[in-house]
Amino acid sequence: MVQRGRIVAGDPVATRAGIFPGQKRSTALGLQPGLRLFERDEGRESAALHAMACWAGRFTPVVSLTPEALLLEIGACLRLFGGLSSLLDLVLNGAAGQAWTLRWAVAPTPLGARWLAQAGADAVFVEPADLHAGLDALSCEIPAWGETVLRRLQAFGIQRLGELNRLPAAGLRLRLGDGPVDDCLRARGELPDPQVSFVFPEVFVSRLELPSRVEHAEALIFAGQRLLAALAGWLNVRQFLVRACALHLTHDDGQVSTLPLRPGEATADEGLLLRLLREHLGQYRLHGPVEALSLHADEVFARPGQSAALFDQALAGEGVMACLARLQARLGVSAVRVLAGRAEHRPECASTFQDPLAVATNLAATAMPHFPVPAMSTVAATPTRPLWLLPEPQALQEALDGPHWHGPLALLTRPERLESGWWDGGEDGARGDVRRDYFVARNRHGQWVWIFRDARGWFLHGLFA
Amino acid sequence: MAALPNVLALDAVLARGDVWRGDTLASLPMASLPSGFPVLDEALPGQGWPRGNLTEILVDRCGQGELTLVMPALARLSAEGGWVALVAPPWLPHAPAWQMAGLLPERLVVVQPGKALPWCVEQLLVCGGFSAVLAWPGEGMDTRSLRRLQVAAEGQAVFALLWRSTGVARQPSPAPLRVQVSGDEQGLSVAILKRRGRPASRPLLLAVPRPGRRSDVVAGPAFSLSGARSPAVSAIA
Repeated sequence: MVQRGRIVAGDPVATRAGIFPGQKRSTALGLQPGLRLFERDEGRESAALHAMACWAGRFTPVVSLTPEALLLEIGACLRLFGGLSSLLDLVLNGAAGQAWTLRWAVAPTPLGARWLAQAGADAVFVEPADLHAGLDALSCEIPAWGETVLRRLQAFGIQRLGELNRLPAAGLRLRLGDGPVDDCLRARGELPDPQVSFVFPEVFVSRLELPSRVEHAEALIFAGQRLLAALAGWLNVRQFLVRACALHLTHDDGQVSTLPLRPGEATADEGLLLRLLREHLGQYRLHGPVEALSLHADEVFARPGQSAALFDQALAGEGVMACLARLQARLGVSAVRVLAGRAEHRPECASTFQDPLAVATNLAATAMPHFPVPAMSTVAATPTRPLWLLPEPQALQEALDGPHWHGPLALLTRPERLESGWWDGGEDGARGDVRRDYFVARNRHGQWVWIFRDARGWFLHGLFA
Repeated sequence: MAALPNVLALDAVLARGDVWRGDTLASLPMASLPSGFPVLDEALPGQGWPRGNLTEILVDRCGQGELTLVMPALARLSAEGGWVALVAPPWLPHAPAWQMAGLLPERLVVVQPGKALPWCVEQLLVCGGFSAVLAWPGEGMDTRSLRRLQVAAEGQAVFALLWRSTGVARQPSPAPLRVQVSGDEQGLSVAILKRRGRPASRPLLLAVPRPGRRSDVVAGPAFSLSGARSPAVSAIA
């Protein structure tokens, strides 16, 4: 990583080759000829930290963002996550899942934690004594103090913060100014150190530049996962649920294509969104290579309060609506339907098929869903209807002894007359006027069918399965 | 003395629902669904249709009353507010008839999965929200998919039912319960091909509700075409 011609950071391989921060670009290239140098992009760094801050919203609502570090105030939420070690595991595994390499530290003071993390402590300091010991061992080259202070410290012959701390504070203030001394006191917890907390944005939009052009939709899943992780953290901290979000893919020719994600029910669950994204991307055909992704939360609303069960009532699985949404994502909306009855005498029109997710929303909107359950008297009076209906009536062969379907059909009931329907006669796809005599019939294979006769002859219309 | 713990362990093993002795039926407490036909219940392990296990009903011709056989069980599930899924049904469900049988149409999902049927059924079983999943796989169902479905159904309180043709009766299947159904003059003949327990000796004859009454035959195969047609056709024409 290079900034203004100087090395800023390097990976372990580069470090082994003798490349250290501060070297010139040419020196580094001389040490390791095949070195790949990247210009540091502070805009992308801060965008990444911003997304991380959103993601961290799932752990604690008090997050602060400094230019080079992310501070999580976790003292208040240890119980929720079952102790420090399990919370730490969650944070570290979460970051590793998004392929971030963390340098971290847990300490009682924000500045102490920051210094220890920057020094690569990767350790937990709970007691103030531990913190002081850890800080004392740190090198006193704190970049924020500036060149002059660092040079002066070097002139004093001071290497470690511990040595600095043993010197009388009044004299140090005269020689170095107030800043470094106060910083040391803040880091040790002897001066208060309030932090400006990160304000989670009102509207969630997160953008991710891909390191290289991606040509296969499935390769976008990983990048999408980072965005969804940030979305889930943001939803958690703002106590929102998302009903619809959209992934905008920026192609290399500047075009933007949109991939809408609509979970079956409003959710804040990252895993569910991720599964949905996987299904969508599995089906999706890219128009061209993708350079950047951005995720917009389009429809969010406040999470309604939930009453938790008093006793453990484990709900296995993800629930009906989420499952149906996933089936729709793969099979198409029209392949997953829920049945609905309609008061209509023409059999073709008595059943309609609806989008289950739309029905669920409507049901939730009306306080009391009405399920028409026929009273016993009407059941007795209701004529028999078959469980299966053919999509189109099927013309039957006719012989001297009546209609045939896999052999001659014996009529078992008197005709039931169903007629009229003039009101939608001229409309597209409508059944129009019908005049039919329906019979229950049976053939010699024991199949019970519903047939009718009209001016054109005999037709099979249903099966009493 | 060393034999004593083994005897106790054997008793404990025999008390499990999925282990049974060859001369009795397995009892599956809490995991069965009364079928609505007492004769059938007696012949089924656990006194009813199993939940959390795959059940196969082998039937060749549609319209013999095979669906009416499971309708009381489905109505019971629907009355409890359960969801029922029909995967690749051979025809369209007719809402008034299902409603009359006691199912809520709003809780009846119809899925047309095309070639993704095994995947689709597996998802529906695993999701845990459905009380019953009925699938018509046609010919395209290999043993591996069946085994996956059986694994998916295990541990869920779902009535998983596959409708297959009688041609596969001799092929092995991981489904613990296989039933072959054929219509008869007297009623529906139900042969239990495979169950957890001793093999069933002879088919059961069940009187499933049928439309109309047999005494109502108004015209048999010797149905006079000209006589029956004259008033109705002249009214239409």
